[in-house]
Amino acid sequence: MKMKCLRSLVWAAVAAVTLTGWSAQAAPIRIVTTLTDLADFARNVGGDHVEVFSLATGIEDTHGVPMKPSFLPRLNRADLLLLIGFGCEHAFLPALIEASKNPRIEYGHPGYVDCSQGIDPVGVPKSTDHSQGDVHPYGNPHYLLDPVLARTAVSNICAALVQNFPQYAADFTRNRDAYLAQLDAKIAAWEQAAAVLKGVKFVSYHEHWPYFAKRFGLDYIGTIELKPGIDPTPRHIEELVNEMKAQHVPIVVREPQFPEKVPALIAKQTGATLVKLPIMPGGVPHTGTYIEMMDYLIRTMVGAVAK
Amino acid sequence: MKALTRFGLAFALSAVAISVPAQETGEVQQLHQQLQEMKENFERVQKEQRAQIEALQKQLDALQRQQQAAVTPATSAPPATATAEQVQQLQDKVNEVVEAQKKILPGEFNPAIGVVGETIFSYHSRGADQTGSDRPGGFDAFQRSVELNVSGSVDPFAKAWVVANASADAQSGEANFGIEEAALETTSLPANLTLTAGRFFGEFGRLGYIHDHELPFVNRPLALDEYIGGESRTDGLQLNWLPPLNQFVSLTVGVGDSFGGDSPLANPGNYRVFSEANFWGRLSTYFDLTPDWQLEAGVSGLWNPNTDDRGGVNALTAANGDPMTEHERRLAGLDFKVSYVPLRNNEFRSLTWGTELLYSDNRYLVDPDNSLNPASPVPGLTGDEFNAGVGSLGLYSYVTYKWHRQWSGGFLFDWVQDPQNHDNQAFAYSPYLTWALSHWNQLRLQYTHTDHSAASGLPADDAVYLQWAWIIGAHSHGWTQR
Repeated sequence: MKMKCLRSLVWAAVAAVTLTGWSAQAAPIRIVTTLTDLADFARNVGGDHVEVFSLATGIEDTHGVPMKPSFLPRLNRADLLLLIGFGCEHAFLPALIEASKNPRIEYGHPGYVDCSQGIDPVGVPKSTDHSQGDVHPYGNPHYLLDPVLARTAVSNICAALVQNFPQYAADFTRNRDAYLAQLDAKIAAWEQAAAVLKGVKFVSYHEHWPYFAKRFGLDYIGTIELKPGIDPTPRHIEELVNEMKAQHVPIVVREPQFPEKVPALIAKQTGATLVKLPIMPGGVPHTGTYIEMMDYLIRTMVGAVAK
Repeated sequence: MKALTRFGLAFALSAVAISVPAQETGEVQQLHQQLQEMKENFERVQKEQRAQIEALQKQLDALQRQQQAAVTPATSAPPATATAEQVQQLQDKVNEVVEAQKKILPGEFNPAIGVVGETIFSYHSRGADQTGSDRPGGFDAFQRSVELNVSGSVDPFAKAWVVANASADAQSGEANFGIEEAALETTSLPANLTLTAGRFFGEFGRLGYIHDHELPFVNRPLALDEYIGGESRTDGLQLNWLPPLNQFVSLTVGVGDSFGGDSPLANPGNYRVFSEANFWGRLSTYFDLTPDWQLEAGVSGLWNPNTDDRGGVNALTAANGDPMTEHERRLAGLDFKVSYVPLRNNEFRSLTWGTELLYSDNRYLVDPDNSLNPASPVPGLTGDEFNAGVGSLGLYSYVTYKWHRQWSGGFLFDWVQDPQNHDNQAFAYSPYLTWALSHWNQLRLQYTHTDHSAASGLPADDAVYLQWAWIIGAHSHGWTQR
């Protein structure tokens, strides 16, 4: 009888502990990001408290992530949506948000986190007329290619997490500080390594690189695209080649989502070096994190100059 | 300065006293003279030194002012802490201005406004009397539509949109202006529900609710034209539900006063019952076959229990030639789309295969002696009338391949049976080539060969189309047009 009672007590204790543990085990914070840089930042800041899903895998064009219906269940249950902002995701995100039926992540709600908050954009167009191509009305959205501006995005993500989940504020702040310290050390190393890039001229397929060029002192000459989102015409290519020859431009950058044919032709005609640079983590192999991607960018550009 | 003077005089006198050997008159005078000279010398040196001290003091003051000026740019500037606050305030203002520019709508205005134009240049080998088309034979230019789109949020709970369309009448060429859509849609219903009300394109099938200018080819597939009657326009209510599952599933049900190409009501003034409305529904799902390959599939149904004499009394003809009246509309659809959308370069390369199968099972009241015809001397039942159902099938299938940002091409196959006589069939084969100069400017060339079954009595015909579609301003039909 005593044994029976003891056994019952043990089972009751185990059940109580299990149930208590279950209830104390809070569900992870569900974060959906548009691009992979933001997913990397969110994982670093959120730590064990977050479950992060990125709509992009890293190899897409930042403006051309396919609108997959399989994204909707993820978005429907998301606590936070992190986006680049400045209209970067205008081609796919508004319709996805609308179809997700999740008021938490709609524009103007606390779960809608525009990571461009506090960043002064470059290239704000004077006109959004379509004669200028598919321009971004709020300025160039590729600010994360400047690691100093990436610090701002990291801080914005931390602020959003703290605002929405203050119970973990200390953890988020500690994680942010640790990641920023790591980033700061890398920034110093990148700036040192990129010293040879100062004044180096280059062109790219799409206008992804104004922030990168400004940070590391490169001279951004122009784009292969006629206008944002508009393919080059033969006349534009001819003018670009002449300009590159006149200015002795040594580097042509091709982002991997654009075809190689025209950039290779331009590089051949001008004698420039053609390099392939990712625009977000995962764009090329071994660039799974933001820091790895920036390492790759600096290493590749420095290598191209050394040729 | 006084102490310095006294010290100087005492020093001079002591020196003089030490140097005097005797008390002679000449020597005393000489000594007085020397003393006077030394006094004058001392006073001169003193003046010079004072002048030097004053000059040095002036230089020191000037240097200190310069240093202060270097630290604070303006003499009236507040202390350093206040300056940091001002910089922060200025930064905050800049951020506010930047944020204020971030509008959620792509249009310059609120509501967003856009216009779509679509012109069709064509050549038909046969006239309308031989093709059943509403366009004449030979060369033809046709402004198919000018569509004005206006959309915006109503309040925190709903959005709304209006699509007004001016199109040329197929026969007269006169512009007909009409409201194609004018609907309100909730944005904050609980339980993943969305309610749409007003005039809109009801969700049936895959391309039924896509505007003409957004189709992958020039003309609406024959099956959609035959069974739905063009775009799936309705005046009514539609409820969509996204079940809380890991798998994407979408369920839509709706009820409306009309659906697609309904003819005007034959008895508009009469008392109407609920069963005279159209009811429809659609269930769809989606699978990621691989990161680059996708499959979307759906089933749809449309039912009008009492069509209220759609098309008019005895306006239709049975297979044997008897006049008949439609009194129940039944339509079912099965559709799928397989797509290759490479993640890396989908703006430059993609492949889409879309297919939709429709089954019409309408019910008719056959009236062999045409006694129900309103034109009869005494319209009424004579006892020979009977009910009949006619089952018919229609299908379209297309493949579109994009090999360049601007260029794509494809092939459309059409097959449809007449919903009143399934022996009457039409087949069409349409290769098409699209040149999209940009998102807003597109040219499409299409050739269509249409053939008919012997029962139709229509000859085969050929047509060539050049479609030029353009957009100015804001334009977005949202998720359904992805």
